[in-house]
Amino acid sequence: MVRAVRGVLVECDPAIKSIIVNINSENNEYIIEDLDDSHLVVQENKVQQLKYLLDQRLKDTIMEPERDSDSDRDVKD
Amino acid sequence: MSVNTNSLQLSDYLEKLPGTTFKRLYQQPSTAFAIFRRMLPHLAKTIVMAMLYIPTPFLISDLEIWVKPNSKRQKDQALATLRSLHIIQSAGPQSMTLTTNFRNSLRLALEGGGGHHSFGVPSTLPVPSDVDLALLDRYARKKWDDILHYVVNSVEYSDMREKDTSGGGPKASVKELLIAGRLVEKRSVATISITQAGFTFLLQEANSQVWTLLLLWLEAADAAGERAGMDSVDMLSFLFLLASLELGRGYSTDALTEPRRNMLPYLVDFGLIYIPPHDHQQYFPTRLATTLTSSESSLRSVSAGFLAASEGGISDAGDKNAIILETNFRVYAYTSSPLQIAVLALFCELKMRFRELVSGKLSRQSIRKAVDMEEASSPPVIVDQIRLWQLDTERMSVCPGFLFKDFESVREYEDMANFAGEIGVLKWRNDRKGMFFASKVEQIKDFMKNRRKAEQ
Repeated sequence: MVRAVRGVLVECDPAIKSIIVNINSENNEYIIEDLDDSHLVVQENKVQQLKYLLDQRLKDTIMEPERDSDSDRDVKD
Repeated sequence: MSVNTNSLQLSDYLEKLPGTTFKRLYQQPSTAFAIFRRMLPHLAKTIVMAMLYIPTPFLISDLEIWVKPNSKRQKDQALATLRSLHIIQSAGPQSMTLTTNFRNSLRLALEGGGGHHSFGVPSTLPVPSDVDLALLDRYARKKWDDILHYVVNSVEYSDMREKDTSGGGPKASVKELLIAGRLVEKRSVATISITQAGFTFLLQEANSQVWTLLLLWLEAADAAGERAGMDSVDMLSFLFLLASLELGRGYSTDALTEPRRNMLPYLVDFGLIYIPPHDHQQYFPTRLATTLTSSESSLRSVSAGFLAASEGGISDAGDKNAIILETNFRVYAYTSSPLQIAVLALFCELKMRFRELVSGKLSRQSIRKAVDMEEASSPPVIVDQIRLWQLDTERMSVCPGFLFKDFESVREYEDMANFAGEIGVLKWRNDRKGMFFASKVEQIKDFMKNRRKAEQ
């Protein structure tokens, strides 16, 4: 019998997807269906929380470049 | 009740209404006509016109002869739209008719028959001498700018804040709507700030902005229910009526039903109608109201203003705004409009302000702040960098909808996935897994039912 499951389709690159899978592995509360390398279906009411957690993880790993607020350097290549 | 990432749009709102509501809506010729005018693609209009005076059901095979094979997709989408708006219904397995109320009302609208007051009752009183198109436009713009300004001003930019612009502002009822619709957010007792939805709202074309706010109002009325004596279906009908009125003409308030008369103060607050201070027996629709169901734009939106400024520099006499964006990410804007400056402050760090000029700088942080709320349209050289910064926050794209799985046969899967593709709701499919994801479910359900019936 065919089923229609409500959810949110998430599209992202494989690296991000693996982080999401990793986040999910803690409590298994986000992912409804793992579709392929770059697609997932996620609980509708958990998307914001997932985005937040993803942001947190990435903040830990990506260095913010130093701020160069007042230079007049022309950045045309 | 909240506006999601994409602000609430009329079509989404209508699609969610049940068939019985449409029956009531279509009792009014003005509503049927407005839906026909505003909501239908050209092909759908052509189909409706073809069916309007045909006494017998229209055969789908006839329609197929009509439409070129390479336009099948457009035809299917047109029919899907007509079905979702309850304009057509099946009259058998292979034929369809217009729904009764819609047909009768659209005929009335076109022929001008009937004794209905569906297109408003013009006032017989003399028009006050000071009411003219210029006054109505000025009035509507002021009201609407106040609302936008309230949305923008909710962002902290303390060093640039002007005390003298805060005088007046929208009414408390409007502010409540904006908060309830989450276009702005209460951070604490005294401060509020713009949300992502609010940012999207701000950059919409004026007409969409008006609808966004009106739909929030309808939803609020629905939530309040009969207790407040408001009926969202009748309210929507009245909005469509307003859209059919003539700009610059006075209409009688006495001819309105009481619930509709009670709507007038709100419409005044939104700037959709003007009621002369000493003459409460007539109301004048403004351009915001009369353009509700047309595609021509009403008052110029904020983003259109910027676009004109960045494209043409000095465009016309009334509008000597220009934005200069240097390749070192410095921004100079020749404007003294508090609203435009406030919008700039959303994604620039404004540093200096002179008479008719503000200067500032785009930076990773300032853009980050803006893309957190969704970003604007900007000139070319900078755009790539903004996109890169934006990618930081867009690591995943999301689309709400439904995952279809566990099909009984490959045929069933293929038929349904193909159908979803044809009506434009298919977002992902995998033939090996036999699953697909669609953004909407209603028409697929109908299709599934019909398919079952046909198989039995």
